[in-house]
Amino acid sequence: MNEFMNVLQRPDFIENVRIHIEYLVFATLIGILISIPVAILVYRSPSTSTAAINVGNIGRAVPSLAVLVLMFPIFGLGFDSALFALTLVAIPPILINAVVGLRQVSPQILDSAKGMGLSGRQILSGIQVPIAAPIIFAGIRTSAVQVVASATLATFIGGGGLGDYIVEGYQRNSTAIALAGAISVAVLAFITEAGFWGLERTFTPKGLRIAQKRGRARK
Amino acid sequence: MIEFKNVSKTYAGSDRAVVNDLSFTVADGDICVLVGPSGCGKTTSMRMVNRLIEPTNGEILIDGEKNTSMSGTQLRRKIGYAIQQIGLFPHRTIAHNVATVPNLVGWDSDRTARRVDELLDLVGLPPDQYRDRYPAELSGGQQQRVGVARALAADPPIMLMDEPFGAVDPITRDRLQNEFLHIQEDIKKTIVFVTHDIDEAIKMGDKIAILREGGVLAQYDTPENILANPDSDFVSSFVGTDRVLKRLSLVLVRDMDLDPANGSDNLPRISDGLTLKDALSEIIGAGADRGLVVPDGNGGSPSGTLSIDAIKTLSHDAEVTSG
Amino acid sequence: MGSALGATPIAILAFLQSEFATGEQKKVGFIDWEWIRDNFREDIVPAFFQSIYLCAVSLAIAIVISVPLGILAARYRALYPPLTIITGFFYTIPSFSMFTILLFIVGFEVGRTPAIVALVLYSLLVLIRNVVTGLDSVPPETKDAARGMGLTDRQILFRVELPLALPVIVAGMRIAIVTLIGISVIGAYIGAGGLGDLIFDGITRDFPTLYVTGAVLSTLLAIGADLLFVGAERIMSPWARRSRGAT
Repeated sequence: MNEFMNVLQRPDFIENVRIHIEYLVFATLIGILISIPVAILVYRSPSTSTAAINVGNIGRAVPSLAVLVLMFPIFGLGFDSALFALTLVAIPPILINAVVGLRQVSPQILDSAKGMGLSGRQILSGIQVPIAAPIIFAGIRTSAVQVVASATLATFIGGGGLGDYIVEGYQRNSTAIALAGAISVAVLAFITEAGFWGLERTFTPKGLRIAQKRGRARK
Repeated sequence: MIEFKNVSKTYAGSDRAVVNDLSFTVADGDICVLVGPSGCGKTTSMRMVNRLIEPTNGEILIDGEKNTSMSGTQLRRKIGYAIQQIGLFPHRTIAHNVATVPNLVGWDSDRTARRVDELLDLVGLPPDQYRDRYPAELSGGQQQRVGVARALAADPPIMLMDEPFGAVDPITRDRLQNEFLHIQEDIKKTIVFVTHDIDEAIKMGDKIAILREGGVLAQYDTPENILANPDSDFVSSFVGTDRVLKRLSLVLVRDMDLDPANGSDNLPRISDGLTLKDALSEIIGAGADRGLVVPDGNGGSPSGTLSIDAIKTLSHDAEVTSG
Repeated sequence: MGSALGATPIAILAFLQSEFATGEQKKVGFIDWEWIRDNFREDIVPAFFQSIYLCAVSLAIAIVISVPLGILAARYRALYPPLTIITGFFYTIPSFSMFTILLFIVGFEVGRTPAIVALVLYSLLVLIRNVVTGLDSVPPETKDAARGMGLTDRQILFRVELPLALPVIVAGMRIAIVTLIGISVIGAYIGAGGLGDLIFDGITRDFPTLYVTGAVLSTLLAIGADLLFVGAERIMSPWARRSRGAT
């Protein structure tokens, strides 16, 4: 136990926590900045939507370790390389959910909005995005948690992060060090999940929450 | 006033017209019902008025001006729009839903709030109870009323309604139709109303446009004239073989000249608010050949008698005159 | 169009063939194709099959656990939230952490066992959730008609509910197997074998051919499994497809 606490108090530990969080924030953020505009571009037509969802599904299938490792020959070691890989990992869930979310807005709602004289932009920002928001946020949450988990592997291409301690623990056969890494990452994952779950609730418009509850009750 | 001038619509890649050379005029304050079998282009025609669909040929004039003289978005803010599945925005309150167009065109918030309350009252939803609710909390019939209120919000002179009472049960629909006709007596909007139900068309329409498959206008006339004088076999069969009886539902007992009531104790009592069709049904059912007409409700003395013969004469005369 | 993400690294690597020849080892371009040819049977193929074995066994165990639990949770709704929380808990723990905890706290020996345990725990959430959702999606009228025809509850479950729920359940298996493959490559680190071995070995020995092969093959395995299950989903729901008409 003492050894465990010692590890946590090492200066490099805080540093690695910071790096890990940086991975989380940047990869997710850039993932959002790429996925949402793409989703807005493709969601209108069934064929481009399906294509985007297929790309997303394939992207999701690729093992994150594979993505990280394949970055190495191209970009070398280090933070940037790992960040690029993690961004690629972050994109698919957000992209898929954004496309699905935008498309599932009922056509009658869109028709009545257009028929009343809302412009295309007003419909997108005032109607579609708010209604799609819960689904999109669920995608962002999935992404973020996945980035936290995958960032543990960044250690293998010299990217730092909390995975460093797991590896160190294995190599030195030290339970304390290994667990310091393993548990801190797990805690970070839980915090991320809880945090985004809270955000999701905040960003779900009240009317939708009621509709969701009613829908469940109707079953 | 809405004028269709040789309006046609054919979709790219198809050689069959969906709407074919449609020409007719809807007078101010009239409800014009577009009715016909599926595939007759009635909804397409309606949606060309507010340019959700653009015609391939011909033009639509609103109060003498082409409806292309401004942008589609601008045009639609001046036309009320109510569709069958209503399309309320689930993430906004009822008040916000109703206020959609007033907000778009920039009314100040006081005026908008007052208007919202006024309309909710008009459609029978007490504002204090319903203003801050969300669509998911309302029944189908209530949502439909909100849809109508929303279409009326910015007080547009013209309204387009596509089976607006379609998504509810027949009893609610009947009530909503009656209430809407009652409202229309006051507001006198120019309305294009689409339905597939000939009975709804007869009930709601000042004029009916019967369309046949391929978007061709089969007949455009008042309900009475269409029932009395169908232009073609298509119209006769669409209107139904019971069209004479249908016509009887257009006249109320109290509008008839009645025979005097003397010695009429065994006759069935007929409320003067009934349609001739329902009256005929009562009289025949009682096995009589005339009925004693009493005022609607419970009080008042009989105003006369109505005979089956009188009803027969009315129907026959109408057939002959319009023949 | 779909395999863009997987194909890009390969394309880039092929393009950079000449750029990265360091001359230290005898390489043909960047990837030592000779090595691959030589060691295909000895190293690569066994690794491939080890991965398949690992994932298939884990998925099978997970299904055997999840389906009954899912059926129970669908019927006795009070069970569902706690079940979701517990399986969700396992799902959120990053896999590398999970392996470490299983080794250092629970005390498993390195090897396949802790990997399989972790893989099973990881899949429970998705599988149970899809079993419940699938059973929920069976129209109540259908069950009612079946009961009215005299089927027992058990018969309804096996002849009506599960078959109708199958597409959703298979969809869950698809998600599960794809994530399992991704995690199983990490499991090589704790001795589970499989394609991850090629990756970790390659990194340690700084031998790109190894880890690229491992990475590419595991990607192809994952995509292949995904497509397999997509096909299975489609075969299983002909009635849904037909009623939907043009999709």
